[in-house]
Amino acid sequence: MNLTVSKEQIINGLQAVQNVVSTRTTLPILSNVLLHAQENRLEFTATDLDVTISCGVEAKVHKPGASTVPVRRLFSIVRELPNLDIDLEVDEKHACTIRSGASFYKIHGLSADEFPPLPAFNEEKKVTLSQETVRDMMRKTSFAMSTDESRYVLNGIYISLKDHKLTMVATDGRRLALADEEVEVVESSQGEFIVPSKTVNELNRLLQPKGGVEMHYAENQASFRLTGENPGAGDAILVITKLIEGNYPNYRQVIPSEMKERIALAREEFLHALRRAEIMTSEKSNSVKLSFGKNKLEITANSADIGEAKETLAVNYKGPDLAIAFNPKYMIDPLNALTQDEVFVELIDELSPGVLKINGPFLYVVMPMRLS
Amino acid sequence: MSVTPQLTSRPAHPFWHRLRLESVMGTPLRPEGIVSCSMLMFRVIFHLDMDAFYASVEQRDNPALRGRPVIVGTPPTQRGVVCAASYEARKFGVRSAMPSATADDYRKPDGLTLVPEKEKVQFLRPLPVRALYGVGRVTESILNREGLQTVGDLQDFPGDLRALVGSFGPTLKEFAFGHDDRPLESGDEIKSISGEETFLKDTDDRQVLRACLRQQAEDISARLKHRRLGAHTVQVKVRYGDFITLTRQISVEDPLTEAREIYRLGCFLLGREKLVSRPLRLLGLGVASLREPSGRQLFLL
Repeated sequence: MNLTVSKEQIINGLQAVQNVVSTRTTLPILSNVLLHAQENRLEFTATDLDVTISCGVEAKVHKPGASTVPVRRLFSIVRELPNLDIDLEVDEKHACTIRSGASFYKIHGLSADEFPPLPAFNEEKKVTLSQETVRDMMRKTSFAMSTDESRYVLNGIYISLKDHKLTMVATDGRRLALADEEVEVVESSQGEFIVPSKTVNELNRLLQPKGGVEMHYAENQASFRLTGENPGAGDAILVITKLIEGNYPNYRQVIPSEMKERIALAREEFLHALRRAEIMTSEKSNSVKLSFGKNKLEITANSADIGEAKETLAVNYKGPDLAIAFNPKYMIDPLNALTQDEVFVELIDELSPGVLKINGPFLYVVMPMRLS
Repeated sequence: MSVTPQLTSRPAHPFWHRLRLESVMGTPLRPEGIVSCSMLMFRVIFHLDMDAFYASVEQRDNPALRGRPVIVGTPPTQRGVVCAASYEARKFGVRSAMPSATADDYRKPDGLTLVPEKEKVQFLRPLPVRALYGVGRVTESILNREGLQTVGDLQDFPGDLRALVGSFGPTLKEFAFGHDDRPLESGDEIKSISGEETFLKDTDDRQVLRACLRQQAEDISARLKHRRLGAHTVQVKVRYGDFITLTRQISVEDPLTEAREIYRLGCFLLGREKLVSRPLRLLGLGVASLREPSGRQLFLL
């Protein structure tokens, strides 16, 4: 294998894939990136066996071929190179030579044959969406994914493609975020699956406001092909992931149907007041109290060992006095993820779930804290 | 009466300056029994050892049992752990599984020993080296091999103990002379809550194990709620027929109080670590990292 690639292109390719490589891996080959050169394209592939990411970039290929090299070392070298063009050559002993200007490096790699093959798909279902849609929906839901490994079905985003609708749901059992969007799904491509959080985090990083994403899914795996504005160009990224096996809980049943009060709030103002009040919470006392009175909302926090906070917001509220306590993080997370100027808080009483909505297809349900 | 053995944390080694009151059940501790310490230069440690406690309780409640061998534990037809044995029973070799006072065998029972500060060095002399804090089986055998059998031998040892026990040497010498300035842990702050069960027959029957865990989770939950505590760590313990014992634990963000959650995490640990790969002799469940939460997060799912 022998090729010339620009520093920018090789950095782009490595940055897209290297995140998936685990720092503590038992198999040496999994620390390596697969380099595959053919025609005018150099493709990078990295995997941890659960998630695989490929990214192709433009390159002048003098001699096609494939090999693998330790990805972090390769990245560290090329990142520091001062020149714009880099010559890469791999010999039959998998030694990779990097030449650029006055720099010369040789790193030992492993045969491409040792690299795990890409999972094959049969009888797949598929749907094509804009990257912006998928990115937006994942941003609005992914913060609610559970990190509790004992509830592994919740360690990801549930995606449903049914009834002309794409729905994404994430919950950790205390709060639940849901976003949906109308899409055309043919009957044969309807289905539901759970994408693991690691993949979601990679997608959150890789998805752009432009271009399309082609989603393929089968029984236990799915793929996301991210294409640029011109599909067919060489800069596509492919993410292939195992899916979480198991049944997602019946999330519909926890969405309250009738709320008593609905209060419109300026998102930024609400968010900043919560962030400030959160400073006065502690591990022992990790709640903020929202007290709604006539045309005002008071946000209070106090910790015996730290001190107290009180924020007063003018709101349009005519209902009876109502106070409810939340873990501030569970209110701040969705407000951070949203972009709308106005949000709506809907409540029933101090021990029933609270709901956060926007003018749009988004819903957030959060359980309060019972204060002792 | 069947009593679940409870592990109580022991005070730091209370070897000297101690007043031992045993079998206090019949003799309530009177306020005048407490010595004023205000004039003392040295600290005074009272150590109350409720030895043969449950057996003594039974003997107090039932006079017919007094002076007779009494074992509190599992019915004799079944397998189990001896919770407490009266002194009469101990003559027959019955030992308690309670780790309450194994090193404090001085003048048992009803021993009341007062070791004044100036006599502590003499008091310690005849005791075996093992009696000192930090001297376990390994250190004991090293010392014995050098002819050091008693604390007195340690006191008289002219050489540097570091040659024998490494960095513990100087501390060991201090301990041998009764110098110990470690703070006394009174052990009244609860650090963990646990329960365990020894099965009549080794079992890997999932239903039996689940029922056992569920019961333990409920007991733990009740005790957590009683003390208004939430737990951030759950631990399971298994012992197989060959006495190989394993423990595994998981930590969680939200304080646990509910039996359902403690049970679920217990099951999860057993499953994740494949601990029920063969029949269990014992199964235990416990919680730790206890905190007093100001509020309780409610759950949707």
